[in-house]
Amino acid sequence: MSSHSERKDEHDAHHPDYKKIYVTLLVLLVISVAGPFFGIVWVTLITAFGVALVKASLVVQNFMHLRWEKRIMKWMLATSLVLMIMLFAGVAPDVMKHEGRGWVNDAAVAAVTRGIEAPHHEGEATAEEEGVVEGGASEEAAAPAGQAFDAKTAYATVCATCHGPTGAGDGPGAAALNPKPANFGGAAFWNGKTDDELVKVIREGGAAVGKSPLMPAWGGLYSEAQAQALVAYIKTFRK
Amino acid sequence: MQKPIATTRSATGIPTGRLAVWWVLASEVVIFGGLLASYLMFRLGHPEWADAAAVTNTWIGAFNTLVLLSSSFTAVLAHQAAENGDGKLAARYLLMTIAGAATFLLVKSYEWASEIVHGYTITTNGFWSFYYTAAGLHAAHVLAGAVIMGFIAADAARGKELHRVELIGIYWHFVDVVWIFLFPLLYIAK
Repeated sequence: MSSHSERKDEHDAHHPDYKKIYVTLLVLLVISVAGPFFGIVWVTLITAFGVALVKASLVVQNFMHLRWEKRIMKWMLATSLVLMIMLFAGVAPDVMKHEGRGWVNDAAVAAVTRGIEAPHHEGEATAEEEGVVEGGASEEAAAPAGQAFDAKTAYATVCATCHGPTGAGDGPGAAALNPKPANFGGAAFWNGKTDDELVKVIREGGAAVGKSPLMPAWGGLYSEAQAQALVAYIKTFRK
Repeated sequence: MQKPIATTRSATGIPTGRLAVWWVLASEVVIFGGLLASYLMFRLGHPEWADAAAVTNTWIGAFNTLVLLSSSFTAVLAHQAAENGDGKLAARYLLMTIAGAATFLLVKSYEWASEIVHGYTITTNGFWSFYYTAAGLHAAHVLAGAVIMGFIAADAARGKELHRVELIGIYWHFVDVVWIFLFPLLYIAK
């Protein structure tokens, strides 16, 4: 490539075969679109992101002429990239994980649960149709589509975080809480409790009935009927 | 030689105009990089976003990728023509690049309009919030680049300020590169 490197301006002297690069880019585009049709996750990852890296580097090196640019420019851009990767490495663990030692990101856990349990998972709808059901849905609207609601799964993914898998109030999140989460196994808990009161706690939070404010309000996540189903389920923990 | 300031060499040995464009891009790397990195970490932490991503139209995304790659091709041909001193040809290639930008934005408006009438807005959920923010910031760059390119093409057609053809080209290729990453992130990874 650098056969004629004139002292004066090396940068301007280079014009690779742009048409060849353009055609290569188009072939890579076809590959990246075709990737998902194989239905294999790692193939899609390579054709999507591996190919994107190759495409980007072709454009940067040949169209932006970075390969003939002064070295200081490469270092400057590399510095930007490294700063960005440091941002990712520093922040990502806290964002991607939803619980750790002594902390639980309730909202993120709830969002995942809400998304995973959305009714379209049961249906045969095409991507476009199911999106219409789900996409316009606010938190309120997502809940009433109740036929897919499974109290056991909802308990295991949301409630068990603090109340424990067997309702003993010993979930991983319990360690950090004071007062401790209710133990559904004990007779003391059930003493004088009505279903309506429990539904209220689930939907409006512990503070709504003078209990611990650490019990969040899940009304955005569970409809009245779903909260009742949860109450029925936690009764099975009663000893 | 009307504007010696942008054509003389700085201490780095790079013409100051081009140095300035690289500086802009170095900061853009952090702007878009930060946005895409945040998207990535949320996406990895939220498997349910895949359902929202399933709604985006891969074919529209692929078509717009084709449009931007082609416009980068014409932008670099404009650069080559400018270096050969052919301002008229450079201007013609720049106009083709602008046509690419216009096509991209038209397709984008159609795509967004149909998504919005289906109820997917920037407040629907985290995925759509990132979708409109990232693609919107990118579209703003496409629009800005097209406008600036119009001025440069007008000059180039009269044989003036030909060095600027390369400068807008470098910026334009960067906008293309951002889309090259947005495409798999928003459309292909379902």
